[in-house]
Amino acid sequence: MTRRLWGRLFAVAAALSFPAVAFAYIGPGAGFALAGSFMVLLTTLAIVALTLLTYPFTLLWRAIRIGNPYKDAAVKRVIVVGMDGMDPGLASRFMAEGRLPNFKRLADKGAFRALQTSNPSMSPVAWSTFATGTDASHHGIYDFITRDPCTCAPLISSTDIGKVERVLNIGRYVIPLGKPEIKLLQKGEAFWKALGERHVPAIVQRVPITFPPNAFRGLLLSGMCVPDLRGSQGTFAFFTTEEKEGRPAYTGGEQTLLRRKGNVIRSRIVGPDNSLLKAGGRMTLPFTLTVGKAGVTVAIEGSEPFELVPRRYSPWIKLTFKPGLGISVNGIARFYLNEMDPNVNLYMTPIHIDPENPAMPISHPDVYAIYLAKKQGPYATLGLAEDTWALNERVIDEAAFLDFAYLVGEEREKMLLDAIEKTRSGLVCTVFDTTDRIQHMFYRYLDPSHPANAGKDITAHKDEVAKVYESMDRMIGRLWHEVEREDTAFLVISDHGFTNFRRGVNLNSWLFQEGYLALRDGHVLSGDWFEHVDWSRTRAFALGLTGLFINRKGREQSGIVEEGAEYDALVAELRERLVALRDPEREGPVIRRVVSAMAEMDGPERFDAPDLLVGYEGGYRHSWECATGAVTATVFQDNTKSWSGDHCVDPDIVPGVLFSNRPLATERPRLIDMPTSILRLLGQKPPAHMVGGMIFPTSEQPAVARGWLDPATLDQSGAAPGALAVP
Amino acid sequence: MTFLVGPITSVFDVLLAPFGHGWPWFDLVLWPLVGAVIALVVYKYVSNQKAIAAAKDRIALHLYEVRLFPEDLRIVLGSTLKILWRNAVYVGHNLLPMAVMLAPMMLLITQLVSHYAFAPTPVGEPVVLQVALDSGRPASSVQLEVPNGVTLDAPPVRTADGHAYFRLRGDVAGDHTLVVRQGSETQTKVWSVGGEARKVSPLRTDSLEAWLYPGEPALPGDSSFRELRIATAAQPMHWLPDGEGGILLWFFALSLLAGFALAKPMGVTF
Repeated sequence: MTRRLWGRLFAVAAALSFPAVAFAYIGPGAGFALAGSFMVLLTTLAIVALTLLTYPFTLLWRAIRIGNPYKDAAVKRVIVVGMDGMDPGLASRFMAEGRLPNFKRLADKGAFRALQTSNPSMSPVAWSTFATGTDASHHGIYDFITRDPCTCAPLISSTDIGKVERVLNIGRYVIPLGKPEIKLLQKGEAFWKALGERHVPAIVQRVPITFPPNAFRGLLLSGMCVPDLRGSQGTFAFFTTEEKEGRPAYTGGEQTLLRRKGNVIRSRIVGPDNSLLKAGGRMTLPFTLTVGKAGVTVAIEGSEPFELVPRRYSPWIKLTFKPGLGISVNGIARFYLNEMDPNVNLYMTPIHIDPENPAMPISHPDVYAIYLAKKQGPYATLGLAEDTWALNERVIDEAAFLDFAYLVGEEREKMLLDAIEKTRSGLVCTVFDTTDRIQHMFYRYLDPSHPANAGKDITAHKDEVAKVYESMDRMIGRLWHEVEREDTAFLVISDHGFTNFRRGVNLNSWLFQEGYLALRDGHVLSGDWFEHVDWSRTRAFALGLTGLFINRKGREQSGIVEEGAEYDALVAELRERLVALRDPEREGPVIRRVVSAMAEMDGPERFDAPDLLVGYEGGYRHSWECATGAVTATVFQDNTKSWSGDHCVDPDIVPGVLFSNRPLATERPRLIDMPTSILRLLGQKPPAHMVGGMIFPTSEQPAVARGWLDPATLDQSGAAPGALAVP
Repeated sequence: MTFLVGPITSVFDVLLAPFGHGWPWFDLVLWPLVGAVIALVVYKYVSNQKAIAAAKDRIALHLYEVRLFPEDLRIVLGSTLKILWRNAVYVGHNLLPMAVMLAPMMLLITQLVSHYAFAPTPVGEPVVLQVALDSGRPASSVQLEVPNGVTLDAPPVRTADGHAYFRLRGDVAGDHTLVVRQGSETQTKVWSVGGEARKVSPLRTDSLEAWLYPGEPALPGDSSFRELRIATAAQPMHWLPDGEGGILLWFFALSLLAGFALAKPMGVTF
């Protein structure tokens, strides 16, 4: 340290005592630094001067245009902490057991109630309802996926990624003259846009269905549905020396069989398509694994080599793909060495878009994602960051899944803290997904007889669902000073709750068996995406997690069901028969309720919606094969995947939670009320399209709901024994 | 240390010899590029690259803060102070590489100056050779011997403060060697007259300034002469300032551009 200091002092002395030489030297040496430094100073001073000079005019403009935006505000600031999938029954139970002291304090200070979710009760739908204050028939998001009416091919329901229309062909390259249009398909305006228009600051982080980010006067980091660098919703990679019949001994993701030569293994990371090349193909990055005694050294082309020890995640590693013409496409991934002896098994997360050099717009403004990366380092950007599929496929185990989920949670908390620090007035809204993902993957531990337990550990992670609630509780504890502020409304909400997923129901198989769906050429089974379906004889089909579509003439390309009486009759018939459906292996109903979008919803998007929304009893859900448009031999199947808890059921049995540091004006708050209520808290008039009401006390409506939720009011039909609010 | 000027100059004479006789701009492009590469290599290995990248990252972070939260004066002013501090840290990280690169860059630039910044005296145009002796020595006994092709144009002027002035005129183009004597000591000074642009030495001295004018070996340390100087015209540099200023500016701009262009391929952060 002292030597370095002396070195610098000497340099300064030399430069000062020899000005002519110092000047001569300025060129290639310190010139870089001095020129850069000077530019920074100049830019800083220019920005600051501009900001200070325009500040009074901004204030004046705001005063003239909108007056004091907080004139009618009940609070100066609203903090919404979204905990995806937090279940009121489980929360009640853990609170009663004394495991959530901070949630208890929060409920005691204000209120804790169940929050009625959307229909269907799944995140893309529910968070769209939260954002827009409308139901699915207005915002148009009914599921993660929908179908292309022309081809019945699956489409992401929230995002349309177009192609570049004009390109320049030079040799083997195709140079795009412009950017592909990426469009958010969610209809209606988010409530934070209304805040922005009134100059009320808003920071929105990782709320699902915000990709691509729509511009507004505020900051937004996109959440669920942000793709990975390959454009998928998350394709992990798995490298293994373990083989079965010449192929990797695992399935799912991108599997690569490794060949070991001594201690060295060479392979390639498969990246996104090379759209710059006429020939196309995927870009790859060669890497070398050198197996040592305690771990492996991973050397990826273009990155610093790093050490990996078994069963610990690497930090985020930057992966730079080079499609040509000097262009780089940047991603980040974490690596996890499952084992190194006798076989090397290396898992790589899906390649997330690098937030510091985003290949697609993941924030508004663009620099917000970069700012966060510079502030806290690289962070997960993939919409479904926690790799549930890798655990489903048993490529990683529960411990690896949990480690990653909590790392993502830590990153998210840092973002939230920064947003709170930066927002003295206005809205902060951050959604945590960890609660949802862990409940999906660990729910089976709450149910000793769950079919997914067969052949898997049932003790080591028995308490994980409670632990994730506890981790959220600790975060509330760390934010307690914000909870106590009188000028801040502090809200914890979830989009839906959770229930058991023991049995999968393949409605496509049922439709086939009952003659509503036909297969070609004598087939009795069909692969994914309606492989053998004969559309000319099919009247109904199921796709996604709750939807059932009628093959309507004029809507579907090969539609055969006429609008009017034929359609109405078919809908009525299906509703009646579906509710009467019984599981041969279990007693009681399978489906509680079937909602007709055309008859029971009133929004303009209902025409393109699934015609019937199937509300299952707890314990049931569309089977995995049904969701992807396959026809299987049986209608009912045990769900044996680690994904053992779910919420795509009748919305009444999976409400979300609302914790508030102030009492409520209703005993039955709804998710659809949240945007209206937040706007009203901040003194803003809700836009006309929002149908929700105000759930907080005002001069016209008194506080009626305080303290804890009465768990007896919850309908916990079908929940696992370990998930019941009142055991 | 000035005794090293001569050998170093000889090395550069060899290095510059293949280029210096046809198209001077080629040299003036080549050497800043070489300088930039040398600077980048030195910079890469001498500087704390991680600390520099971190300092730059923090500067960028605070700039983004100003950009993202312009309506919050608390953030704007706080971030501005942090930018200024980080800027100082950034410059601080550059001091060590600056010190290390000082010597090679100075050598390179002074050699370029000596080769390209000064014009030979036109044939027939008078100039003054100024001879300065160490303080306390009288100039009365300083003698000048001129070679063929050089005429002493006027009687010499000797002053009491140890200076002697000789007005000369070159009648023939070439690098003429002037011989000056003081007592038993004899020294020479090369005077370039007419002809192509080439290395020109305006000054021969025993002081540190010899490093800046390395066209000739430095005077020995025990010499009674302090300097031998010929007023030399600056080489026209077209749209750049003439002479030294033009060379320095050119070197600065071109090496900087080259440095910026080559930094990424060479993996250097600055």
